[in-house]
Amino acid sequence: FSGRTTVFSPEGSLYQIEYAMEAISHAGTVLGVLAKDGIVLAAEKKVTGKLLDLSVEKEGSYGGSGEKIFLLNSNVVAGVAGYTADATSLINYARSAAQQHLLSYNEDIPVELLAQRLCDLKQGYTQFGGLRPFGVSLLYAGHDPHYQFQLYHSDPSGNYSGWKATCIGANSGTAQSLLKQEYKDDISVEDAIGLVLRTMSKTMDSTTLGSEKLEFSTLTLDSTTKQPKAKIYRPTEIDALLQKHGLAKKDEDTEMAAA
Amino acid sequence: MSIMEYNGGSVIAMVGKDCVAIASDLRLGNQALTVATNFEKIFPVTDRIYIGLPGLATDVTTLRERFRYRVNMYTIKESRTIEPSTFAHLVSSTLYERRFGPYFIEPIIAGLERNPATGELSPYIAGADLIGCLNFAKDFVVAGTASDKLFGVAEGLWEPGLEPEDLFETISQTLLNAVDRDAYSGWGAIVHVITKDKVISRTLKGRMD
Repeated sequence: FSGRTTVFSPEGSLYQIEYAMEAISHAGTVLGVLAKDGIVLAAEKKVTGKLLDLSVEKEGSYGGSGEKIFLLNSNVVAGVAGYTADATSLINYARSAAQQHLLSYNEDIPVELLAQRLCDLKQGYTQFGGLRPFGVSLLYAGHDPHYQFQLYHSDPSGNYSGWKATCIGANSGTAQSLLKQEYKDDISVEDAIGLVLRTMSKTMDSTTLGSEKLEFSTLTLDSTTKQPKAKIYRPTEIDALLQKHGLAKKDEDTEMAAA
Repeated sequence: MSIMEYNGGSVIAMVGKDCVAIASDLRLGNQALTVATNFEKIFPVTDRIYIGLPGLATDVTTLRERFRYRVNMYTIKESRTIEPSTFAHLVSSTLYERRFGPYFIEPIIAGLERNPATGELSPYIAGADLIGCLNFAKDFVVAGTASDKLFGVAEGLWEPGLEPEDLFETISQTLLNAVDRDAYSGWGAIVHVITKDKVISRTLKGRMD
């Protein structure tokens, strides 16, 4: 194999990019579904445990544990799969890129442009400098006045594409086929939330589906201001949502008492 | 001809009882010629922080946009809104970055600072010179072409512990009478009174000359 990213393999591929994608296939699943009035993004956390300090999650005004789902700008939310440290670096770059656009054009960066900025950066690492690529795939859920709600996926090669529903990380193939069967073009955000939660419970271990393992977010349009509203759910809100959709963890003690 | 006097304009901020007020004129000139009477120089940074930017008009817009960039990055990374004292230092470092080719602005910051331990809000004002030297006054801060006059009237009219309505009257009279003595300020005025629940903005009826 070649240790250099910038050199082709005999088969005509770039080994480092393939190895990066291999790393991502072991990472926590991230699922995104585009609805007519919003987008739903959910992710499986891998870093869990009783000793984990989650106080930031409870108090932080933007939600999220800082592992899977991040706010990039007021109009774009991203879900990451792969090396968390690489992802954090890309997230910071994306946030700066979004602000730079705002500074130059006095408008929120269009979603596709933001994806392109990141992809241009990622592609550079496959062709110049001899540095390894970023071991991260991202899902971008965003809204702009030009193309309304959009969902994009980008990978370590620097390629991106637009999707109605897609999945990255572990078990993404299974989730993708589940989505292909159930997805309808004119789905509402409410139904998309249900679809996402059901698909997540099938790809993850459903008996342990709870707020410790799940990150959840939606992007909708505020009915009065008509501005994009990103919501990254807090752990208590995720538990409530799971209860509502009948996917909450079964409390064994209560069941015993009922019997 | 001084660059700081090219477009004209003045800003003042005052401390009251559990409130702050920040006010400015609305003139935009091209030296002696008045070009606009609706040029706002005070901008909201967060719900509880306002910044006034008197000086060269192009820098007013540029600095507002640069601060918006930096405050957005702060908010998104820290997952919380910036406090006035932190923002004042951000203003200072942004200006000092351009120590040898400065922005021709002397910013005024007014807001309500949250005490991290008790959660109580207290009034906060600060002023800076064009290269970022901060002035943490307890009573009032002034800037702009009528700054000398603003100092004089404010020193006379200000007293501690003014309620929001009284603070509004005091800052309005201070601003109106000071800018009436300055050829480069005036042509309309606006006052923002910031309290813990809301911000009330009022435009004043002043001499349009």
